[in-house]
Amino acid sequence: MGIRRRQYWGWIFVLPAVLFFALFSYFPMISSFVASFHAKDILSLKAPKFIGLQNYIYIFTSQDFLNSIKATLIFAVGCFIPLVSVSLVIATIVVSLRRFPKIQNVFKMIYYSPAIVSGVVSATIWLLIFDPRGLANQFINFLANNPTPVDFKWLALPAMARLSTIIIYFWKYVGYFVIIYFAGLVSIPTSLYEVAEIDGASAWKKFWRITIPLLMPTIEFVLIVAFVQCVRTFSIQYVFVQSGSPREAINVVSLNIYTTALQYHSLGRATAMSVSLFCFILIFTVVQLRIYRSERVSYV
Amino acid sequence: MVTVAVLILFAVAILVPIAFMLISSVKHPLDVFEFPFRWIPRRLHFYNYLQAVAGNDQKYYFFRNTFNSLFMAGSIMCLNVLMASAAGYGLTKFRFKGRQVVFVLILTTMMIPFETIMIPLLMLTIRLRIQDTYMGLIFPIMLTAFAVFLMRQSILTVPDDYIDSARIDGAGELRIFFRIIFPSVRPTAVTLAILVFREAWDNLIWPLIVVQSEKYKTLPLYIIRFLDEKYTNEAALMAVAVLATIPMFVLFFTFSRYFIGEGILTGAKG
Repeated sequence: MGIRRRQYWGWIFVLPAVLFFALFSYFPMISSFVASFHAKDILSLKAPKFIGLQNYIYIFTSQDFLNSIKATLIFAVGCFIPLVSVSLVIATIVVSLRRFPKIQNVFKMIYYSPAIVSGVVSATIWLLIFDPRGLANQFINFLANNPTPVDFKWLALPAMARLSTIIIYFWKYVGYFVIIYFAGLVSIPTSLYEVAEIDGASAWKKFWRITIPLLMPTIEFVLIVAFVQCVRTFSIQYVFVQSGSPREAINVVSLNIYTTALQYHSLGRATAMSVSLFCFILIFTVVQLRIYRSERVSYV
Repeated sequence: MVTVAVLILFAVAILVPIAFMLISSVKHPLDVFEFPFRWIPRRLHFYNYLQAVAGNDQKYYFFRNTFNSLFMAGSIMCLNVLMASAAGYGLTKFRFKGRQVVFVLILTTMMIPFETIMIPLLMLTIRLRIQDTYMGLIFPIMLTAFAVFLMRQSILTVPDDYIDSARIDGAGELRIFFRIIFPSVRPTAVTLAILVFREAWDNLIWPLIVVQSEKYKTLPLYIIRFLDEKYTNEAALMAVAVLATIPMFVLFFTFSRYFIGEGILTGAKG
């Protein structure tokens, strides 16, 4: 069989994927970019009109989009910090139960279980928990031992709506990151800890001097995935707004793109927002990768 | 053992909402918001489940929408694994011009979040006249660069000798792909399949924008509609939630090692 024939087969195997990405990734990306410089109503048949940077000027001077950026950042940072830190602590403890692999597995399965529940279902469950008559109020009032129950308005107050969405997201994804950290932690050779123990190192010191440096590749991965994932949030906010929570506080960028395009029919502004979101995520990924690569530690 | 206490406390906190869903789904609608909340229902009320599948309009769209979810997630899963493996095979075991360029171009799409192209994708599906159809639901999200990357990495480890000896024996390229490559990367393919199925099952945003008619709606959209109807009773809402979660729990308990096993450093999407 000749080389030429084999080249030809290589292309045949790759072709479906190439066609897919050309049609469903690159073409929409380019048309998003092009559309962001035009004025166009999604429903009208009129040809799009070139208006230069006006869509960008509009969205970056309107309160609406700036507020979305703020809402997204508050949500992303608010989720990201507890997600990446709590899951690390939990995973470290689970790993320390090395002698009981069955118990480790039970804990891992429990922590992971909310990730199985879909985004819409999670939001729905928590809507009832955050109801004025719901579990959340009952629980906090019980803890605080309030003589007269207080309604914390989990869904109605803007700040509380933000907190509530963060709690749901944290609940849903914390186990996922526990699993990832766990996989990274078990790959650290136990002999390193044994040597440190002989030298009399404390648990605290072992954590900072052995665990963290050797876990760096996993931590990098988690930081990037967690942040980008938080920035892209949609389902929980959609369900909240749909059931009457104040839109402004939780109007994250992806929700704003959806509303701008499908309720206000403004293709130009929606795509200008899309391109901005794309640039933000791109810069973030690149910058973060560069920062962390320079500090990579190897003990081998 | 303070640390184990922490683990147990955390586990309880994680399980409370799931327990709340299960228990509320069999409570009488008037008892969902009782004070204080009873973890053991006073009376069982399975009628909620009937209401959940009948819907508030008594049209039983639940079954059609469940089928749609299964069909969509199943099709995407098969197409994704098949196309990603084929591409992975083509990219690793053949030397053709432009191979590196193709790989880099595919990987680059990992940097394109779905939210940034969903509106043009919708316009494209409208132009292709597949909006509000199964094709529109499935095709635009049937492959990801991550899948290609994963399968490529896995196929790289298949020894060339296997392929060469099969070729000498006169096996065709398709035969080699299905009989040699595919079986050797089965664990990765299963991991990918589960990941893809779950993501498709969970997907709200794409069905939300591409589908309008009830007969093509998926389960997340069914739940949203149930939620929107203000006279919905909350116990029935939790019954819908339970029903929508059962398939995933079955998958989770059957294949738990693919979900929580080691070496699963897989990318996920919100």
